[in-house]
Amino acid sequence: MKPLRIVYGLIGFVVVAALWQIIAISPISGGALPTATATFSEFGTLVPDGRFWVDTWRTIEVALGGFILAVVVGVVVGVLLASSQVTMHATRVLLEFLKPIPPIVILPLAVLVLGPTTNMGVFLVFYGCVLPIIMQTAAGVFDVDPIAVATAESFNMGRLEVLWRVVLPSSLSYIGTAIRVSVPTSLIIAVVAGLLGGGPGLGNSLLRAQLSGSLSLLFAYVVALGLLGLVFQGASELIERRMLHWHPSYRKEEH
Amino acid sequence: MAASTSDTAVLAKRGRNRRKPRVGRPWLITIEVLVPVILVATWWTASADSANPFFPPLSTIVERFQQLWLFAHFASDVLPSLGNLLAGFAIGGVVGIALGVVLGIGKVLSGLFAPVINFWRAIPPVALVPIFVALLGFGNEVRILTIALASVFPTLISTLDGLRALDPQLRDVCRMYGLTRRERLLNVYLPAASPRIASGLQVSLQTAFVVMIASEMLGSSYGIGALTLLAQQTFATSDMWAGIILLGVLGYVLNLLFNVIRDRVLQWYVRSQKIGKEM
Repeated sequence: MKPLRIVYGLIGFVVVAALWQIIAISPISGGALPTATATFSEFGTLVPDGRFWVDTWRTIEVALGGFILAVVVGVVVGVLLASSQVTMHATRVLLEFLKPIPPIVILPLAVLVLGPTTNMGVFLVFYGCVLPIIMQTAAGVFDVDPIAVATAESFNMGRLEVLWRVVLPSSLSYIGTAIRVSVPTSLIIAVVAGLLGGGPGLGNSLLRAQLSGSLSLLFAYVVALGLLGLVFQGASELIERRMLHWHPSYRKEEH
Repeated sequence: MAASTSDTAVLAKRGRNRRKPRVGRPWLITIEVLVPVILVATWWTASADSANPFFPPLSTIVERFQQLWLFAHFASDVLPSLGNLLAGFAIGGVVGIALGVVLGIGKVLSGLFAPVINFWRAIPPVALVPIFVALLGFGNEVRILTIALASVFPTLISTLDGLRALDPQLRDVCRMYGLTRRERLLNVYLPAASPRIASGLQVSLQTAFVVMIASEMLGSSYGIGALTLLAQQTFATSDMWAGIILLGVLGYVLNLLFNVIRDRVLQWYVRSQKIGKEM
């Protein structure tokens, strides 16, 4: 079954690439669209280029830096918020208001204060990831079975021990969902920070390729970003599975 | 019957909340309203005689907000931005659902193209903006096209997932009743997948909003995003803040509107979810 699916997928890629090639050569595009072969050969020249890898690494650095910061702060703040109804309600309006506002909105402010730097990118990624993590963590902690907590307390566990051994593990499935969503988001924001904010990384390479008018280079960078995106997606699913391999919803799948 | 289930639900809730320190509901609502008011008031007073060029007094920002958006630049910048957003989102949503249905029903097609779509989806949507600008220029249609293309994928993927996750018994029942393909699709499959399609559409709307701003920030002369970035580059800080506040409010309101409409359209689903939770 599985090899057949891979073959089908490859055929799909070939069909799409052939269509692309035909459209690019045909007069409809007026010669503006680079061909598939030109794009992939351009991509082939990028791969051995050291600068390309430096830019890629900078993008990853920005994405991961902001993401890790968001996980640490998000989980701590989420646990603190869920500790009482008062803090939950006090912060609800603020969080609900900020959550649908994407980081690109505050990009001009971030660029103004921090300049076109790595820190600016990290800050934007942090902002984009931290709110869902806070809210999911708080929801998870709020949803912990009170009987499990009471049981742990009757075993004379201290508050921290209850937190570490009962509350956090049982809210992990909520946190895992937030993390799975946040990892691909972090890459997108890292690219936005480079493309529109002038921060270092592949977003900035994209902008330079556009300004230099080299379309095949531009397309090659987009292909590279797609591959990097796949890596991020795969990694996020792997993290969630590793984190939650004991969870009932995952155990079911294995059998 | 209904009364007894809700009674047990109430009892269960009481049991759940007993451990938490009980604070009266009116109190909680007061806190909920008061905290944002206090925050804004603090911003207002703390920034009142701010000389920091990055953080001008809130009163100045509000003044600039009124001068810029109410309504000097409303028709020239706000309306075109929103028009592009809605047009792009509408096209992207319809195409996304249509492609999702085609791929969700045809097994061969989805086997062939699912990996390609997965690859496409992995490309950050904002990266489409420079491509379209380089290929087609800065025209308004280009922006709509970019927004549409970027917002196709979330809807497409969730439509596909929604159709795949259908209860297999549902298919059998349809076959037993001898429903035609059309009837099956329109009366059974699509309604059953609609909650997932709706959440895909919501992500599409957010993507459309981001790409709208990006398409304006990248070398354009009008639109809310363009004005806001221009204000930042010319150090017109109050104007920049005014733009950020407008964009923030728009992002919030669009999401809110979407939720209201979705809950209306999917009333049956929202109700069944509630009942499920109470049990």
